[in-house]
Amino acid sequence: MRGRVGWGLLAAGLLLYPMLLTGPFYRDIGVTFLLAAISASAWNIVGGYAGQVSVGHSMFFGLGAYTPLLLYTLWGWPPLAGIPFGMALSVALALGIGMPTFRLTGHYFSMATIAVAELIRIFFGTWDLVGAAIGLQGPAVARSVWDLTFRSELPYYYIFLAVLAVLLLLTSALERRRFGFYLRAIKASERAAKSLGVPVRQTKMQALALSAAFTSVAGSLYVIKTGFIDPDSAFGILISVQMVIVAALGGAGTLFGPLLGALVLIPLQTATNSWFGGGGSGLTYILYGGIIVVIARFDPGGLFDLWHRVLPTLRKLFGSRAHAA
Amino acid sequence: MLLEATNVSKAFGNFRAVAGADLAVDEGEIIGLIGPNGAGKSTFFNCLAGETMPTTGKIVFAGKDVTHALPEARARAGIGRTFQVPTTFEDMSVIDNVMVGAFLRHPHRNDAREHARRVIDLTGLRADQEARSLGTPGRKRLEIARVLATEPRLLLLDESLAGLTPTEMQEAIALVRRVHETGVTIVIVEHIMEVIMTLTKRLLVFNQGRVIASGTPDAVVRDEAVIEAYLGRGHRRRLESQRTSDKLVQND
Repeated sequence: MRGRVGWGLLAAGLLLYPMLLTGPFYRDIGVTFLLAAISASAWNIVGGYAGQVSVGHSMFFGLGAYTPLLLYTLWGWPPLAGIPFGMALSVALALGIGMPTFRLTGHYFSMATIAVAELIRIFFGTWDLVGAAIGLQGPAVARSVWDLTFRSELPYYYIFLAVLAVLLLLTSALERRRFGFYLRAIKASERAAKSLGVPVRQTKMQALALSAAFTSVAGSLYVIKTGFIDPDSAFGILISVQMVIVAALGGAGTLFGPLLGALVLIPLQTATNSWFGGGGSGLTYILYGGIIVVIARFDPGGLFDLWHRVLPTLRKLFGSRAHAA
Repeated sequence: MLLEATNVSKAFGNFRAVAGADLAVDEGEIIGLIGPNGAGKSTFFNCLAGETMPTTGKIVFAGKDVTHALPEARARAGIGRTFQVPTTFEDMSVIDNVMVGAFLRHPHRNDAREHARRVIDLTGLRADQEARSLGTPGRKRLEIARVLATEPRLLLLDESLAGLTPTEMQEAIALVRRVHETGVTIVIVEHIMEVIMTLTKRLLVFNQGRVIASGTPDAVVRDEAVIEAYLGRGHRRRLESQRTSDKLVQND
């Protein structure tokens, strides 16, 4: 019950945020936060719940970003219409790379995903159809409302929020079903899961496909908002690393972990960027590195886990004080 | 015949861990499998459970050839197993652990939960406890509960009772009995003779990858080949020389 109230408050906060903080700076943070939360929540399905730590999810983000703009460039389609095609391509890629890479486990799987994402980045950087190193551009001026080209950040904020809500509702439904149990079992011990009749490879493939589809949507949303894409901002390793860190910071394999991680990381990242200006762009790497060290050393379960561990102590402290009083 | 493994062997390079082992299990039996360390019991178990594919031989379960079936397919067919080192799902509660097994025959969550609760009642665990907070006996018990939830016809217990105190062991023996009474056929690998002697009616002894003796537990432990496998060749001569030196000491 208390949990529901908490999440109700969070939902209300997210709905009201752009009304309360109206400056373009705050709205930009809001939109960036939502995008990071969507990407990390999508990653979380396979990386968090199933424990298959992909560090190459930018491949799906990038496909989701490129496809709408490619269809616009070739045939003038509104970028919105490209989203399902991006999703389909990402799912196809997920199934294609899942077959060989899921034979690997642990770090080897992670490294294989990095390699695939990097190969695609390099390939897109030399492929003329997708604008090679320069990339692609979307409609500069809205031709109709379907182009979703707005001056204000506000419509983007609510569109992104709606997508995040759909993703979290879906994840929450899956979490409670057989599929969710199977993912957690696979994460804990594939060997034991198999012995209990869990179709491990099939389940991992399904998780990767679902995760890829939503990561692709995140890429499409990004490009619909920014209106252009190039190989680095689509397939760069930092895109993948951000998903991992956001989810791990909040709590990988928990429903709201990625949301919480984004809530902490994005303002922090924006703050360091604005404090140190353009010259500080390398600081993102330092920030990520620092967070990795802190999570690995002190809190592998993320902030959610920390909260659950601290809560009994707080209660005890609270309780004993009340007692003393 | 529920399970029939014929001439099963498993080679790792030049080393033959299992070398032409046979095992026939009738529905409703409890069979013990003993043997010195490195005799190939666990590898043989893995062959039966599908975790390791045998190099040669044939495994037929409930009339179907499962020699090359994957572990998940064997679980569906009705072969369940536990592990020597318990592999419980640490971040999940007891009931969630058991539900993973229950989902095999009950795809819907509520049915799976109901079935898991029944199994947990049988095994005497606490449903809401976190798996990571369990000690060794609890973990072993949870492993048994989890595999029972898959409703196996044949249960392969790999040293499920090792490392328990005498009281815990008595409880575990009672649990295995209860499980057997529900109609599950059991093959149990165990080092502790007390367990084997109390639970089983038929005992097989493994050495160097093969079954070297089988029969009632009482007969098997007196079998010359078995004693030799455990104590080594020449144990009789050593025993005799020990006796002679004892006598000499007494005479002095």
